[in-house]
Amino acid sequence: MSEYSIIGKPTKNVDGPAKVSGEAVYTFDMTLPNMLYGKLLRSPYPHARIISIDTSEAEKLQGVKAVITGKDTPGGRYGLWRRFPELCDQTTLAMDKVRFIGDAVAAVAAVSTEIAEQALDFINVEYELLPAVFEPLEAIKDDAPLIHDDCSNNINITRHVEWGDVDEGFKNSDYVREDRFIYGNQATASTEVHNSLASYEKSTGRLTVWSSTQSPYYLQLGLSDALKMREGDIRVIKPHVGGGFGGKNSTMPDSLNAAVLSMKTGRPVKIVYNREEEFTCTERRTAMNMAVKLGLKKDGTIMAREVKLITDGGAYTALGPTALYLTGTYASLPYKIPNYRYDGLRAYTNKMWATSVRSFGATEAGFAFEAQMDRAAHDLGIDPIEIRRKNAMTPGYEAPGQYSVGSCGLSECIDKVEKRVKEKWTGLAEDEGVGYACFDYQCGGIFNWIDTPYAFSGAMVKVNIDGTVDLFTQASDIGQGTNTVSVMICAEELGVGIEDIRLHPADTATTPVDLGAWASRETMMNGNAIKEAAAEVKKILIRVARLKLAENIVYDFEAKNKRIYLAIRPERGFSYYDIVKDAIKENDGQALIGIGHYTPHRKGMVTPAWAFGCMASRVKVDREIGHVKVKEIIVAHDCGQPINPLGVRGQVEGSIHLGMGWGLCEEQPNDNGMILNPSFADYKVVRTRDMPQIELHEVLTYDPEGPFGAKESAEGAVAPTPASIANAIYQATGAEINSNTLKPEKVLNAIREAEKKKPAKR
Amino acid sequence: MADTNYRCPCCRKISPDPHDLARHYLGQTDTKHKEWLKTKGHSYAQLITWQVTEFGNKGYDALAEVLEKEAPRVEA
Repeated sequence: MSEYSIIGKPTKNVDGPAKVSGEAVYTFDMTLPNMLYGKLLRSPYPHARIISIDTSEAEKLQGVKAVITGKDTPGGRYGLWRRFPELCDQTTLAMDKVRFIGDAVAAVAAVSTEIAEQALDFINVEYELLPAVFEPLEAIKDDAPLIHDDCSNNINITRHVEWGDVDEGFKNSDYVREDRFIYGNQATASTEVHNSLASYEKSTGRLTVWSSTQSPYYLQLGLSDALKMREGDIRVIKPHVGGGFGGKNSTMPDSLNAAVLSMKTGRPVKIVYNREEEFTCTERRTAMNMAVKLGLKKDGTIMAREVKLITDGGAYTALGPTALYLTGTYASLPYKIPNYRYDGLRAYTNKMWATSVRSFGATEAGFAFEAQMDRAAHDLGIDPIEIRRKNAMTPGYEAPGQYSVGSCGLSECIDKVEKRVKEKWTGLAEDEGVGYACFDYQCGGIFNWIDTPYAFSGAMVKVNIDGTVDLFTQASDIGQGTNTVSVMICAEELGVGIEDIRLHPADTATTPVDLGAWASRETMMNGNAIKEAAAEVKKILIRVARLKLAENIVYDFEAKNKRIYLAIRPERGFSYYDIVKDAIKENDGQALIGIGHYTPHRKGMVTPAWAFGCMASRVKVDREIGHVKVKEIIVAHDCGQPINPLGVRGQVEGSIHLGMGWGLCEEQPNDNGMILNPSFADYKVVRTRDMPQIELHEVLTYDPEGPFGAKESAEGAVAPTPASIANAIYQATGAEINSNTLKPEKVLNAIREAEKKKPAKR
Repeated sequence: MADTNYRCPCCRKISPDPHDLARHYLGQTDTKHKEWLKTKGHSYAQLITWQVTEFGNKGYDALAEVLEKEAPRVEA
């Protein structure tokens, strides 16, 4: 793709030097003059009615400036699914009862964190304990305790998708198999904990909140609903963020209570979660119980697929229904399925609520689908790569009434991985196996559950007299490289250098709305908005250049490498800087401003484009103790036109790391609603030395919907990682494993089961 | 009957056949929809449990039978 001067060139993060030198400021680093420190009192019970709260002793403690309970808050209900008021089921503090261990019941602001923590011990809460329920299928029974009084049977949301004739599809299948998969929770384990700093200006009634968030706009809306304030009176600023991974989309008690405490004291208030709160009281991946049925012809052609899903929602809604929706969608990709049925249910339980972690829905659905594909291939005597190639989605594929596929390089990815495996992994050692998994991922979501009238992304470009560019965008860089991609897209479109762009990111007061960093949407949606904004300015520059050149024929112009010139005769043109000066003079002295926006149109109900890929994992299994060593991974990835190949590599490697964590070791066991491993001593993540060698191949496609043809790269590679590892174990030992995590005892038991049934496969 | 539609007993939804209406009905999680079934001697929880735990459309089929009998008819 040599036509680009910036796009496609490996580029170091624009904020990298600031981050590694310590210059970058995170919310965690921030202080304001006269600032107070807040802490939250949390429920020790999974389900209880609040009889009374006595804060008088805490208020007497020296250094305590304010203590609040639910009664001191405006009492607005909030949630991310704002389109459905009944799903906005949260309040700033518990009003009448607590619904999980960790529900916030009171908050303190004091002159130090230590005093605030001490004050929590002096708050006396009288509870009436209520029966609690922890399992979804128990929760929906008619006689189960009600978690929300206005939601009978604790059924939060259901989802049904169906196309084709599923029953007929199974009838016409030569081979049908049914499997059940059980998945647990996964913490985001972000380096930066949830934390917010709020400053309320009593004279104007305006609030400013700095927060470690994935979406300043969603936080602005959440604060607006909960505090019953106008959106425009709330300014949310997102400084640098130390990781989100799906856990920082919602408005959380840190920002809400910092705001209320600031209103009450007239001083800035900061609330920082400790690591235990981060593990027990922040959003995490949803636990699922998934039954899947797959029907194929003898030659491996998929005839029908059916999925039944129950998710454990925990105490509140937040982004949880999206997990239910997306799992049903992802269970229908990346293979062609003529007949498909999905039924899902999300139930409230008395646990910390569960929503999203990177690649949510895709990881769980992919694990099941890819396991079934391998098992079916084995039973039908088909090569695992062939069965995938036979069914792989192709450009133009449509899932009736749901989504369509634009560009699709899946077949090329399969070919590439197969070729490299054959070249590289000749002669597997004993107890080694190679497992395959294909994948797909959306490029943002076409969902408006937040109920915004705004475009999904907006951007503004201002070009100054010296040619420097101010780029205003609300896109959220949470460590994934969006700032760099934003600058690259703007620079490419204007034909200037990265060093010419000054980025003004993620401030609701100064930037057009963007929905935030979720579903791998920023490159596609924000990128399109930036490109449009830059193109608007470029159009002005070209008009001026055309007039100046005074050609008698209308030729095409290009803006590239800081020049604006005739496309067919590049030597005929002008310096970008000279044209900018002329254009501003001609514009009555005004800076040149371009505005862009993006909302997908006519792209179905899910996403404007899909990324695809194929992965192979080479794994060694210790049959004696069940230990699994992931030795190497080969992945071929179709993310359209990579904007920043260095960033893509980083995202794929990060996705593999997170996918290995979900697959191998990350889990949150609980006892009657209490999470049992709330520290990094007990919550095991994959370490650097556990990571395999990764060979990445980018398969170039061009998606007409994406900026410069780009698609996602931030989440897709999570899903195939655990799936390909499990399939490698299956290929090495015959062990069928139907749940994460692939811990030694589980692998060992599965190997023993397989040995009882038949000799080891292949 | 080709010229008869079924109206949801709890809201304004109109469907051409009881199976389609059953899909709508089990997709509604508000109390009104759940409670109406109780008055007819059925359990929303039981129907949805069938639908999300057993392959096929057992929950919809059972509910469609109820709606066939109980849902008001409107002319197409």
